[in-house]
Formats: sequence, structure tokens, C-alpha cells
Amino acid sequence: MPFEIHLTEWQILFVKLGIILALVPTMTLVAGYAEHKVMAHLQHRLGPMYPGGFHGWAILLADGLKFLYKEDIIPERADKRVFSLATFAIFVPAVMVYLVIPVDRTLIIEDLDVGIFYLLAISSVSTIGILMAGWSSANKYALIGALRAGAQLIAYELPIVLSAAVVVMLSGSLSLVDIVEAQNWPFLLWPPGIGLIAFLVFTMAGVAELTRPPFDMPVAESEIITGAFTEYSGMRFIFSYFFPEVANMVAFAAIGATLFLGGYQPIVPLEFLEVIPGIVWFSLKTALMLFVFLWIRPTFPRLREDQLQKFAWKILIPITLALILVAGAWVLYAPEAVR
Amino acid sequence: MSLDEKRVTDQTPVHDPAELAKMVSGANLVTEQMVLNVGPQHPATHGVFRLLATIDGEVLVDAQPIIGYMHRGYEKLVEARDYRQITNLVSRMDWLSGINNELPMHLCLEELMEIEVPERAQYLRVVMCEMNRILNHLMFFASFGAELGAITPTFYAFREREDIQFAMEMATGGRMHFGFFRPGGIREDVPKGFFAQALKGVRQVMARLNQYEDLLVGNEIFKQRTIDIGHLDKEIAYNYGVSGPIARGSDIGFDVRKDEPYLVYDRFDFNVVSAPNGDCFDRFWVLIHEVVESAKIVEQAIEDMPSGPIMGKVPRVIQAPEGEVYVRTENPLGELGMYLISDGDRRPYRLKIRTPSYNNVSVLPHVLKGQMVADMIAILGSFFFVLGDIDR
Amino acid sequence: MAIDEHKLENARQLKKARKAGYGIGLIKGMAVTLKHLFKHNTVIQYPDEKQDLPARTRGVIALKEENCTVCMLCARECPDWCIYIDSHKETLPPKREGGRPRKRNVLDRFAIDYALCMYCGICVEVCPYDALFWSREFEYSEYDIRELTHEKERLSDWMATVLPPPELEVGAEVPGQPAASGAPATAAGAAGPGSAQRPSPPAAATAAAQAPAEQAERAPAAAATAAPPTEAATKSQEQAGETKEAQPAGRAQPTEEKAPTGEGTPAAATTTATPDAQPEAVKSETEAASPEQFDRPEGDKAAATTAPEAKPGTTDEAPAAALSAEDKAKFQESPGPNVEVPHETPQPVALQPTEDAEAVYKQVLQEQLDKGSSPQVAEARAKVARVKAERGIKRGPTPIQTEKMVPSAPTKGQPEPAEPSGAPEATEPKPEQGPVAETSEETTEASAPAEKTPAETPPPAPDEPKAEAAPAAGGDDDPEAVYQRVLAEEKAKGSSEAVAQGRAKAARVKAERAKKNG
Repeated sequence: MPFEIHLTEWQILFVKLGIILALVPTMTLVAGYAEHKVMAHLQHRLGPMYPGGFHGWAILLADGLKFLYKEDIIPERADKRVFSLATFAIFVPAVMVYLVIPVDRTLIIEDLDVGIFYLLAISSVSTIGILMAGWSSANKYALIGALRAGAQLIAYELPIVLSAAVVVMLSGSLSLVDIVEAQNWPFLLWPPGIGLIAFLVFTMAGVAELTRPPFDMPVAESEIITGAFTEYSGMRFIFSYFFPEVANMVAFAAIGATLFLGGYQPIVPLEFLEVIPGIVWFSLKTALMLFVFLWIRPTFPRLREDQLQKFAWKILIPITLALILVAGAWVLYAPEAVR
Repeated sequence: MSLDEKRVTDQTPVHDPAELAKMVSGANLVTEQMVLNVGPQHPATHGVFRLLATIDGEVLVDAQPIIGYMHRGYEKLVEARDYRQITNLVSRMDWLSGINNELPMHLCLEELMEIEVPERAQYLRVVMCEMNRILNHLMFFASFGAELGAITPTFYAFREREDIQFAMEMATGGRMHFGFFRPGGIREDVPKGFFAQALKGVRQVMARLNQYEDLLVGNEIFKQRTIDIGHLDKEIAYNYGVSGPIARGSDIGFDVRKDEPYLVYDRFDFNVVSAPNGDCFDRFWVLIHEVVESAKIVEQAIEDMPSGPIMGKVPRVIQAPEGEVYVRTENPLGELGMYLISDGDRRPYRLKIRTPSYNNVSVLPHVLKGQMVADMIAILGSFFFVLGDIDR
Repeated sequence: MAIDEHKLENARQLKKARKAGYGIGLIKGMAVTLKHLFKHNTVIQYPDEKQDLPARTRGVIALKEENCTVCMLCARECPDWCIYIDSHKETLPPKREGGRPRKRNVLDRFAIDYALCMYCGICVEVCPYDALFWSREFEYSEYDIRELTHEKERLSDWMATVLPPPELEVGAEVPGQPAASGAPATAAGAAGPGSAQRPSPPAAATAAAQAPAEQAERAPAAAATAAPPTEAATKSQEQAGETKEAQPAGRAQPTEEKAPTGEGTPAAATTTATPDAQPEAVKSETEAASPEQFDRPEGDKAAATTAPEAKPGTTDEAPAAALSAEDKAKFQESPGPNVEVPHETPQPVALQPTEDAEAVYKQVLQEQLDKGSSPQVAEARAKVARVKAERGIKRGPTPIQTEKMVPSAPTKGQPEPAEPSGAPEATEPKPEQGPVAETSEETTEASAPAEKTPAETPPPAPDEPKAEAAPAAGGDDDPEAVYQRVLAEEKAKGSSEAVAQGRAKAARVKAERAKKNG
């Protein structure tokens, strides 16, 4: 560091908070805009073109503004306290995920020793929020949606945790920085194959965890309107549904990039590529993951609830369990080959 | 019309509610049934269609379609209007196939008035009707995808529709409500460039159809959602007078164009697509493949297009002589029949309209029972109905 | 039998479609969407770009106020009673000395409630005096539903945007031409956006029924409706040197595409067919009517709006022509097929006026024969060409009178600014209709044969009947051979596989039938 500033712990905390609170909405806006545009072009249309002048870059700002002006309606029969608390229960974890993601070797808000553990734990808190929202809305669609969401999020928590466990076993650490450091060219996760399969499982389960198509039954518009959020309106809707969804999507893309794609490391370990800062690589990989999410969304129809559960319990979880066995055997018998 | 619940349950002994509840919940778990009101404002119902669903968890124990929210009293409206005005009214019944709705009315009139329609007009009518059929089918292709959560087919389908719709607009000036047929022929001859545009649109659809199949029909998720879902028995379909792609999806190879040819349909080479299984997939498959057949007809009709007048010998005042006549045609959604009774006035004494969607949705309770809520949407989507056509 | 085969094939395909695909379908689907990511987009950015809508588009109903005689037909026929008309009677001084004072209806209010209108077009269709037209304009939304009732001033403004009716497709009956198969009912009205139902040319017929004075008044109006094509024709003749040189070729191409069978001959057929009776009829009409127009005071509103005014100074005319040339260029470029404006085609400029008619005749005859047209057809076409050439010589040097005709925009209507759809051409809308054809046949013997020949020869959209006739004529052919032959023919033509087979089958069936019948 060229210069040093001395800050108390509290001051540092506030700075970090400020960064997070500025960064997350920005990234969400960017990703949301990307979603608009990528999806539009996949569907052979242009998407927003007017707000803001250049290719409609300000569409989400305009949208947000519009929602800001909308009336905040809470149904009469709703459990009002739970109804409004649910928003926070969903929104806060979506922001807190970003705390431990290593954007560069040293660029990380908090390098927790149990980073990945924290990540997985915090990302499942929102399930409670969705259940709260669904139950308190006093709406049948919301109830069905919340129950679907509960079942789905819990079911897909497992493959995610298990595939992350594979990564942890192979890299030998729970710290995200260490995990990134442990990944090497040509196969980011040695041994080959295991990492790839784990990555695929993680991606699929991630899409389900995000409740995005083809696993979007909790909010399936054509069936149950917006699921748990049917009764939400105005800014409350933004902060309990739209914003967390996009923020979570970015977070999952970032986690995927960190765990499986080598995070801030260059794609190919070449001298001249080292010049490019890690944050660029990280963003590139995150963007790639994001694109896959956005690509899947318009292409597939959605599954049915029971098919979804079958997919989780009968396919993904056995696969990850087997992967853990293989990875364990590898670590046990050929530990030198892992690194 | 809402079906009597008791009657419905009697007719399908397999899906007895109590049995179903047991089936769903297991022996010991006590569950409570919940009545879920789907519609009349619901994204999956294409309008104001209401379904009163009794659900147990996610399984439909019973479903009652409730219709009539959009009843506009067409049959009464037409009694106060002359035939030219009716043309523009009936095209608004099934707004996705406007020109197909105009057809039977004019066939009725022409039969009563004994007007001979010139060849060219007949061919042009066929071209228009088939293009309209393609438009309609593409629309349902789009909406079915959207209901299952795949939003992209919507946009692709609308892109294809645009070219055909443009051709229609060139000829008729309208995009949905064409008002193009007149007793004795058509309103005016098609403008230059119409054939080229129509062929372009139709060929484009044919060429791009395999893309759609890749996108939806071949998709494993789509198959999971549709195969063996919403089985419609051939027997039930017969009994309820189901027609169109839905009946053909249940192995009833009935097509008025083939079995009782009107206009000049007997001159074209086309097939009646049918599928044996009667599930959502088959219905959808039939729909997609009918587009090809329609496209073939359009191609042939334009190539064979005779020259000549487009209007038969028609008296100045359209006035059907006393008498009655029933004409049925193959609407994109099924058999559309019109029963015209005339007392010799300039307006019909009575015009009874038998619309396909009405009969088609009547079987819904049979099909829906025992399905899951998510499947309910797939089934509604695969029943291709237009609310205006049901309620009239 | 064919159906059974088809059923089997169907079942096979369906079985295949229903099989589980183990993820291949997913990948295929993703490939489809990914491909679209890189495809050129076809979206039209609406307020910035506008689709070039067809001429028949039912956008808004425009009113030509001076044509309205308050007959109330439109209001009566309207299915949802959304037309409001008020009027009063006015007594005019007698036209001749000692004559009776005339009475006429004066329109006070003509309003259409677009909140109620169902855009069926019946009013336009029934209007016997050509006072109502469809315009392509559709941007007239309001914040209040009550403001959607537009009064006659607003309706008249839209007159500027009305396009002339489009030219008809191959094989259509040419207006003004007696129907070949003896169905006269709508021959005349076929082209007009309106009176398909009306067998007789409405304006002329009704005018005849009215008082003589009334008739006299009406005449210029009829002339006015007739005039625009002529005016356009003159313009295009001026440009013949530069633009039209290229145009025959340019035109030939689209027509060739359009010709259903895609062969060479129909292209030629249509190019000769396009100059229908209009230009000739119209020309004579204007000649007859123009003196009267000269007499009219310039400030007269009626004259200004109805008749393409004959201005003494021709200074304005050059830019107008230039503008229209530009527009025409635009028309040619723009992809929409609807952009063809009939003005362009009626000009038989393919032949230089200075050419010797006899030489042209021979040349065309030879060309046609080389092309493989039947001798009769070739001869007929050659004759047409000769007539055209002759006429060209006659008319070539003296288009002075018509040159002066400049369309004047309606007095109130601000011409819609720079629309890609060629508003300038549209300023004086709506040519022909009944009266044109009628009067022309009566008044101009000279051009009568000329106009008939082109119209008569083309309609046999030549190869169609031939294709039909072939199997029938060769009735003693082996059906199988017929099948193969037709199949090969169709394929060569570029029909799709299914259609080719279908047509071949049809031919076979026909051949079989013919055989049976002896």
C-alpha cells in the first residue's frame, strides 16, 4: 500500500458497510439491465431502448422510480407485522452474501475462515422470509407459492452444499481465498471431471435456488401469479422479490466463479495475463455465469413441482454424494495429486 | 355454464375425491381441501375464464369451469343488424380467427340466396382462411409455451405472424377483424404483391417450424410436462362434441374440410393430422403440424389461383329468402356451425352459432380431475380456447 | 389410401417425438435461442421508425367534406351508430336566368366517435359520393374518451394522408373492363376501397338522377377524383429519361416473384397488364374537365380542395415533381411490398416514343415467340406494344396541359410533415372509381381501343390454365407418367416438396378421371 490510513475498527466497519451498500445495488442494476437486454436479444427483440437515451440503460432506474410512486398495499386480512418483516428477511441476506466473496486476492470485505460455510448459511435464510411472506399474505396463491418455495429451496440447498463440500475437500480449506488459490490450470479443480460435474450440479441447483426458470414454480406467473409475493406492491415488491432475485443471481454467479472457475485468477496461467487485475477476471467469469443463467431462462419451460423434487432427490443429490466419495478417496490415497 | 358437481363426480369413478385424498395424503395424514378460485382474472386463462378448483395440496380434486363473463349476446345482436353488419360482428366472436368466423355466415347466405361464388373468390377465401388458421395456431403455440414458462416461443411466433398478418392487412386492411367476405364473394380483389407476401410468410413458417420443434416439442422438460398429462378420452370427446385439434389429438380424425368439403377444399392436397394418445403433447403436436397442412393449402391455392371476377351475381339488397340452413366449417379451433333462419328480411330471424371452444371446454372437468395445479395450466393451455368464442 | 399412409407416417413421427431425449432437446433449444442472439433484429422502433402500412389499412376515416351530400347512408349503415351528422338546407340562386332556385343540403356537423367505431369500414363502403376514405393514420389517441369524437375539420385533415387504392393482383378483373365471365356486378367497384357492392358507378349514376344544375356542379368533382393519376403520370413521364429507364427492369423483378409459378412469361404478362384502363381514361377526362377548372376562382375553397388546381405559373411544379421522385425512390427501396403505388406502373414507358411502331411490333413478337409464348399470346402482346408505341409518338411532345396540374393540399389540412410513406403523392387522393371508367368510355373513342387491348390480353395469367389443361388435354396419357412429369415440373418451378407431390397427385387423379371418361 502506498499510503496508510489508520482507522478504528468501527470506522472500518462503516466503510465496508458503505461499500457493500453501494456495490450491491449497482451490481443488481447492471445485472438487471443485462437480463433485460440479453433476454430480449435471445428472443429476437431489442428490449428497452429509450430510458436514459443509450439503449435504455436507465430502464431499471425508471422502473424503480415508478414502483416508488406506487401505493404500498397491505391486505386487510394479512398479518401486517410478519408481512412487512418478510421483506427484510429476504432482502438482508441477499446483501450479506457479498461480504465474503473475494473479488481479488486482497479485495475482500471479510476473509472469513469459514467463508463458504457462511455463504451457504446466509443464502438459505431467505427461505424463511419467503415462507413468512406467503403465510402472512392471507392469499391462497401466496400460500401455495410459499410452500413450493420452501420445499424447493430446502431440496436444492443440499446439492449446493454437497457440491461445495466437494470443492472444500479438494482444496482443503473453508476460506474462499484459499479455495481460489487451490485451483490450477488446466482443470481448475484437480482431479479432472469431479470439478466439472460438481460445477454442473452447482449451476443447476443454483438456478433452482434462485427460483428462476426452468425451476421457477414458486413464482410461476402463469400458475400462481407471483407466488408468495402476489400481495406485495410498490417498493415492498421490489425489495422482497425483484431486487433479491437479481442480487442473488449475481451472488450465485460470483460464488460459482469463485468455487469452480478460479475466481480472480487468469483463465490461463500466462505471464502477460497476470498484468490484468484480478477483479477483471473475476468480473468476466461472473458475467459468463450470469449469461448462462440468462440464457437458460427464456429457453426452457418450467418443470412441475414433483418433477423438480424428483430431480433434486433422485438425481442431483446422489450424484453429489458419489462425487464426495470419489473426492474423499482421491484426497485419501493420492493427496499429492490434488495440489 | 357450470357443470353440476355431482354429475361430474359420478361420471369419473376413478377419481373419486375421497379416494384421491387418500391417494395424495397417505393413510394417516389428514389433509384439508381448499377451494382455489382460478380466474376470471388469471394469467393462464386467456381472458375471463374462471375455474373453481378444489385442491388438496397441489392436486385437483375437482374443477368446474365457469363461463359467461364475456357474454355479449351475439345471437341477439345479429337479429337487429343486416348481413353486412353481421359480417363484422361475427368476426369478433373468436378474435383470433376473424375471417374463419365470417365464412359460415356467408356460406349460409349464399346457400339460401342461391348465389354462385366465382372461382377466384373461392380460392381467395381459402387462402385467407388458411392464413388465418396459421395465425391462430401460431398464437396458441406461443401462448402454450408461455403458460409452461417458456417465454421465447411467444416472440418467435409473433415474428412469423407478422409477415402473414401483413399480407392479410394488405388485402383486407385489418389485422384481426377483417370483414373481408361479402355475400357472393369477397369485398375487393387482393392488391398487387399479396401473393408474394403471403407465400413469403407461409414458406417462412414452414421453414422455421423445425426451430420451434427444437425449442419446444423436442425439449425434455416440455415432454415431461405434457406427455401423459391431461388425457382426454376419445369416448368423452365424442360425447361432448369436441372438435378441432383437440379432438384430433384424441384420435378423432374429423375435419370438416375433408369430410364435408366446402369452398374448394376438395381440390387441395392436405392431410388431417391426428394423434392417438389424447394428452397435452398430442394436442400440441397436432396443432403444430396443422400449420404445415395449412401452409400447403395456401401454397397450392395461390399457385392454382384462377383469374376472373370476385363477386357473383348478387342483388343490390342482401335479403335472404325465407328458409333455414345450417352450415358448418372447420374453424381453427374446431367445428363452427351457423344455423340461419330467415324470414325474408334483410336481417336474420335467428342465427344460432355453434362455436368450437364452447364444446371443447365442456370436457375440462373430466380432464382436470386428479391433475396437479401446474398441470392444470398445461391442460388449459392445450385446450386452445378463445373466451369470446365460448361466451359469444 | 393416401390418408392412411399419412396416418402411419404421422404416427411414426409422433412416436419419435414422444421418445425421451436425455437432454439433447435441451441443448438444441439452447442452440436455437443462442442463434437468435446473433441474428439481425427485425424490430421496428415504433415512434422513431414506422412500419409502412398497406394502402388499405383501416387506420382512420377521412372525410372529403365537399363530396358529402348529407345522404345519411353512412350513419344509417353504421353497426354501432357512431357517426353524427347535422345539416341544413340552403337555397341557391338559379343557375340560369329564369330557372328555379336550387336547394341543397349543407353539412353542419360530421363527427365520428372513434371510441365507439369498430373500424368495419361499412361507412366508407356505402358512401355513394366518395366522401369517406380510409387513411393509414392511427395515431390519434386522446386522454379523454370523449375527445375521441372527431369533428369534420379533423376528419378532413386526414384526407391528406389517404393513399390511392393499390393496384390489383395478377388475374384480378380490371376495373372498367367488362367481366370476362359475365359477372358485371362488381367489375367496376372491385378496385375502389368502397363500393364493392355497388354495381353501377355511383357518382355518375346519382349525378344523372339529380337536377341538371346539380349535375353540373358535380362534374368537376368527378374530374377531380380522376385527375391525380394523370398528374402523376405526367410527372413520371418527365422523369422517364432518368428514372424510368431503370424501372421496367426494376418492375419486372418483383412481378416475376409475384407471379405464382415463378416462370418468366407471367412477368411479361403482368408488365403489359399493369397499364390498365386508368391512365387513358383519366387523361381524356382531365382534358374534358380542365377548361372548367381554369375558370374557377382560385380562392374558392371547394375548388382548392377538390380539384387539382390548374395554376398559371408552373414554378411550384418542379419541386413537387422532384419530391415525388425522391419519394418514389424511397418506395422502391423500402422493403414493404405494399409500397407499390399504382402511379408508376400505368405508364407504358418501356418503349421509347420515337421508336417505330411497326418495328416494335416485330421485335416484341419475336421476343415473345423466343420466350415460348403461344403464337396468339405473342401476337396480342406485340399488338399491345405497337399501340403503345404509336400512342407514345402521338402523346410524346405535347403533355403541356397536364403538366400544369399540380395537386393542391386541402386548404386546412397541414400536409403531414415528411412521412416516409410519400404523403405528397397522397395529397390528392383517390382516383378512379366508377365515373372515371364510365365517362372515359363514352367520351373518348380515340383511346378506347388502346385501353382495351392491354387489358384484354394480359389476364390469361398464362401458364395457369395451361398447367391445368395439360393433364386434361393429354387425357390418354398414362396417369403415372403425368404424375412424374408434373412432379418434375413442380420441382423445377421451386415449389416445396409437399406441394409438388400434392399437385402431382392431383394431376394424376385428373388424368385417371379423364381416362375413365374417355
